Amino acid sequence: MTVEQVRLPDLDEHLPRILEGEVEAFGSWMAGAEPRLRDSLRSFAILVDVEGVVQETALRIWQTAPRFVADGRENGLLRLAIRVARNLAVSELRRYRVEPMEIDALEREARAYDPTASGVLRVPDPLLARRIKDCLERLPRQPGRAIAARVGSGGMEPDEALAEGLGMRKNTFLQNVTRARKLVADCLARHGVDLAVELS
Amino acid sequence: MRRDEQRAILIEAATTAWRPQSPSGELRPHPAWSDLDSAGRLEVYEATRVARRMEAASDPEGLSSTARAVLARLRAGR
Repeated sequence: MTVEQVRLPDLDEHLPRILEGEVEAFGSWMAGAEPRLRDSLRSFAILVDVEGVVQETALRIWQTAPRFVADGRENGLLRLAIRVARNLAVSELRRYRVEPMEIDALEREARAYDPTASGVLRVPDPLLARRIKDCLERLPRQPGRAIAARVGSGGMEPDEALAEGLGMRKNTFLQNVTRARKLVADCLARHGVDLAVELS
Repeated sequence: MRRDEQRAILIEAATTAWRPQSPSGELRPHPAWSDLDSAGRLEVYEATRVARRMEAASDPEGLSSTARAVLARLRAGR
């Protein structure tokens, strides 16, 4: 077992600092909320670009947090974020003129998601973090450079710019990122870590 | 380029946390995601899910590139 299962913490503990405008506190909230937010959008994944919805939701939650009124239950801001995300996804579906009946079905499926249902949150342990770093460091030069650039950019630069910065063609860059992911997964598997299972 | 290679490149391209913005500042779907079929989009979703958790697991603050992109936009005033 390389990840520890703990009860879902109350992410609202970060609220006071978020309300004071501390971006770092919002980062701490996001570290816990993002996986749940992404999981809640699974039913839309074929018709909606979930990555964009997750980010747009987080930006809106930051803006609306000062008006957030707690209902006395844990993880109120996360529950609000899941509702906002679902509404954004539905708006996208309407924009794409998806049939209302199909939208209803997808929304119903999304509503069934309960972020606290399992009562557990998988959190990585230091050993897993070290194994991932070790595997990244063992990558061949080009895949290592490509995935480091991708992760290091923090989603702020398009792949065209990252590839150019490394002197690679865009397709070569993308093939190197794919190769890096596969090599890291293989390396972790040799250490008994199945990413698909452990991080799912 | 073979069709399966092209498809793999589109899937990898769409797993980035980078997203284009509309003129009003809203995030828009990645162009590569828009070019994929349903099965490809589901692969993007699952691959991104694993990638973000791996990024967060190895980040000192537990942040994925998605979280870092959001925080960077907040610091820049969106």
